[in-house]
Amino acid sequence: MELLGALGLDWKILLAQFFNFAILVFVLWRFAYKPIFKFLEERKNKIEEGVKNAEQATQKLIEIGEKEKEVLIEAKKEALNMINEAKDNADKKGNEIIKRAQEEASSVIVKEREKFNQEKIEIFKDMRNNLSELVILAVEKVIEEKMNNEKDREIIKKALNN
Amino acid sequence: MDNITLASNILFSIGSFPVTNTFLWTVVASVFLMIFFVLIARRMKSVPGGAQNVVEMLLEGAYSFTESVIGPGKPARKIFPLVGTMFIFILFSNFLVYIPGQSALTVYKGGNPVPVFRAIMSDYGLVLVMTLISVITTQIVSFAVLGPFKYIGKFINLKGPLDFFLGLMDLVGEIAKVISLSFRLFGNIFAGEVLTAVILFLMPFFAPLPFMFLGLLTAVVQAFVFAVLTLVFTSMVIESSSEEVK
Repeated sequence: MELLGALGLDWKILLAQFFNFAILVFVLWRFAYKPIFKFLEERKNKIEEGVKNAEQATQKLIEIGEKEKEVLIEAKKEALNMINEAKDNADKKGNEIIKRAQEEASSVIVKEREKFNQEKIEIFKDMRNNLSELVILAVEKVIEEKMNNEKDREIIKKALNN
Repeated sequence: MDNITLASNILFSIGSFPVTNTFLWTVVASVFLMIFFVLIARRMKSVPGGAQNVVEMLLEGAYSFTESVIGPGKPARKIFPLVGTMFIFILFSNFLVYIPGQSALTVYKGGNPVPVFRAIMSDYGLVLVMTLISVITTQIVSFAVLGPFKYIGKFINLKGPLDFFLGLMDLVGEIAKVISLSFRLFGNIFAGEVLTAVILFLMPFFAPLPFMFLGLLTAVVQAFVFAVLTLVFTSMVIESSSEEVK
């Protein structure tokens, strides 16, 4: 008991010290450690999220770049294809048009030739008819005297056919 | 020189309650710490600066150390408020000694000079209370982890004479913990007080400086040791129970 007295141990002070320390622990725990750790955790999460987002963004950027390249290459290919096709089509059509024109032209020529031939034949016919009359008239005028019709015609026809 | 006493000195009494100089400063230090930490916690900013940086570093370092000793997750979260506060409180109390001029303040009580300031941890009452809290906490953890029968069985083992003796030694060990833990802190700080007073009395200029630096080291080391020993006692209890489960 003497030692306790020498150390200044008084149960009232001990109790007071206990409550003081208990309050200190409680207040620091409830109002300092807890909110501070919560805050730090939230900030950590935020930073982690930010870093993750940044990584994702760069990843996406790279992907987009690759896709862009792919699309460009495809587009170029398609464009080339289209141009080639168009060229082929144009060639084909041109050839067709030329062919048709040639065909038309040849058919027109043939028709015209036939027409011409027919006309020629008709003209010849007409001419022959007219000519025979003309010759008859001429011969009549020259001879001035009519032979009998039958003989006359025979002679003329012979003359013409020769 | 004649005012160095083992017990802290009574400044005045409120009713029948004697207010000692250490108790006064304990309250002052506690109130200051509470206000400081709560203010910091209230004004947390995403981009830390100044005091917030220091507090963050201190708490994060202390918490990660706690986790490394006792294991991450729930046990660390439960024990941290106690050991963290012990460390911060003891450290701050020990640093209070270095406020210049405080040792010159005395009041006269019944004709005798009584120092207004005394190193907080040189009050054996406070140290004993904190030690008891530490040891009782480990007993509560042990009780909660082991269950009532195993907990009692740890101390009173009737399997054989050797086991019985070892059980008694465990019991003695728990009491020895109280004494060793409390007197380590009290002895170091009180010795520092006495030494500083003696050196100041013998050679007031320059000579106390190396001792003050040593005292600074003691202040940090003792705060650390007290908190860590509490932590280690608790972790030992948890580990021994997990070994038994295996």
